[in-house]
Amino acid sequence: MIRFQNVYKLYPKNVAALNNLSTHILPGEFVSIVGQSGTGKTTMVKALIGEEKVDKGRIIVGGWDITNIGQREIPVLRRQIGVIFQDFKLLPKKTLFENVAFAMQVCGGHPKKIKKIIPHVMKIVGLETKADRYPQEVSGGEQQRTAIARALVHRPKILLADEPTGNLDSLNANEIIELLLRINKFGTTIILVTHNREIVNRLKRRVITLENGTIISDQSIGKYVL
Amino acid sequence: MFLSLARIIKFSIEDIYRNIWLSLVTVILLILALFSINMLLVVKVIGQAAVEAVKEKIDINLFLKNESKEDEILALKGEISALKEVKSVTYISKEEAMANFIDKHKDNPEILQALRELGNNPLAPILVIKPANLDILDNLINRLNTISNDIIESRNFTNYKMLLNKINDITNKVSDAGLVLSAIFVLITVLVVFNSIRVAIYTHRREIMIMRLVGASHWFIQMPYLLSGVFYTLIGVLSIMGIFYLFLTLLQPYLEAFFVGYNVNLLEYFYGNVFTIFGVQFLGVALINILASLLAVRKYSRV
Repeated sequence: MIRFQNVYKLYPKNVAALNNLSTHILPGEFVSIVGQSGTGKTTMVKALIGEEKVDKGRIIVGGWDITNIGQREIPVLRRQIGVIFQDFKLLPKKTLFENVAFAMQVCGGHPKKIKKIIPHVMKIVGLETKADRYPQEVSGGEQQRTAIARALVHRPKILLADEPTGNLDSLNANEIIELLLRINKFGTTIILVTHNREIVNRLKRRVITLENGTIISDQSIGKYVL
Repeated sequence: MFLSLARIIKFSIEDIYRNIWLSLVTVILLILALFSINMLLVVKVIGQAAVEAVKEKIDINLFLKNESKEDEILALKGEISALKEVKSVTYISKEEAMANFIDKHKDNPEILQALRELGNNPLAPILVIKPANLDILDNLINRLNTISNDIIESRNFTNYKMLLNKINDITNKVSDAGLVLSAIFVLITVLVVFNSIRVAIYTHRREIMIMRLVGASHWFIQMPYLLSGVFYTLIGVLSIMGIFYLFLTLLQPYLEAFFVGYNVNLLEYFYGNVFTIFGVQFLGVALINILASLLAVRKYSRV
């Protein structure tokens, strides 16, 4: 599904964010990427959604070489990869329903299709009764669920979660992880970038550990080793 | 396609509405720029009307001696009519000149009384010569100066050419000043539109970021801002049409009073050319605004 082949990414002053990084993530996997700050986790995410160009190597997503992806192709790629972040990135003046619908509207989704899909997705994330509330009226966990719903509307094959529990208490964090596991069960590949040792250890799934832009550990049923 | 277009229009209108004060300032500056451009046109039309009015009045009077015989006068008329620089020659006899004079001063009893006391007709017969072409007026005057005939009393060759040049000169100077003023307004408008779009993008940076994240096309992200430039132009041009209609309605009576006897109707001129005048202005300003918006979008929408 996702292949990194000898990928290098250098930032100014020769700081290596990714240093000869190679890995292969299979379809339907649930992979945690862990590592200390500045080890290249976020650069990996950015490279996967075409936000950062790598200096060397190849990145292949679903058979598509996106290493030198053109500006016009990036939107196509991003409809195939759902992304959620620590800060949710919701629009405060839109309801939860409108926030999710926005993702479809801006990609040309037909109103009938939007009306049909959004309630279904809201149900998956457990927000069907709160769809008409505004982000500031719900908890952080519910805001993150909304972000997940928004990431799911294009039925992506891959869901990238960059520190999705960073702003949440343990109860909400666990709920989000449970939700990601449920989505993974539907066949969606999940890539979880996290610092949360407890979550990684409890998941008992594949763990890739990064240090200085290189993979120092890749365990199929791994633990947080740092 | 139509759905996306409808959403782009909706987003664009939302952009304008959310930054309503900035949008108002942009439109007001646009109106000022358009007003100065249209004033240029008004000056041009009035200038042309003034030149035509003067041209209408241009003729050369050849005053003949009182005792000139009719056949001598007609012979001279024939000689002058044959000149290629001459359009027409009208002979006004002593009697006709007197009748014209009395008619002209019929409301002035003192002049009429003085004429009666004089007892005879003091006016001389005249040949009124209309030039064929004003550009060769000097040639005509030279030719008339060379005609030697004893019946010619005096030659009144007013320098109309200087007057025409003066009107043209004033019109051109006003046009030049207006052009500079319009250019300044257009430049300010470009900067204001650029800034308005920049602020609109800044206001919507979160939306833009999310749009990019969820896979909206660049076209969809950028179009609302480009469209805002077109909307500003449309509002500006429609406003200037209304404002200028009022302005011309107020100006017209003064123009009619100034150009008595001449058909100088600015309202009619603008009515007759409304689509050309405002259509060209709309296209021109919209193009400039789209370019300003495009620059702002390219520079600032990479959130």
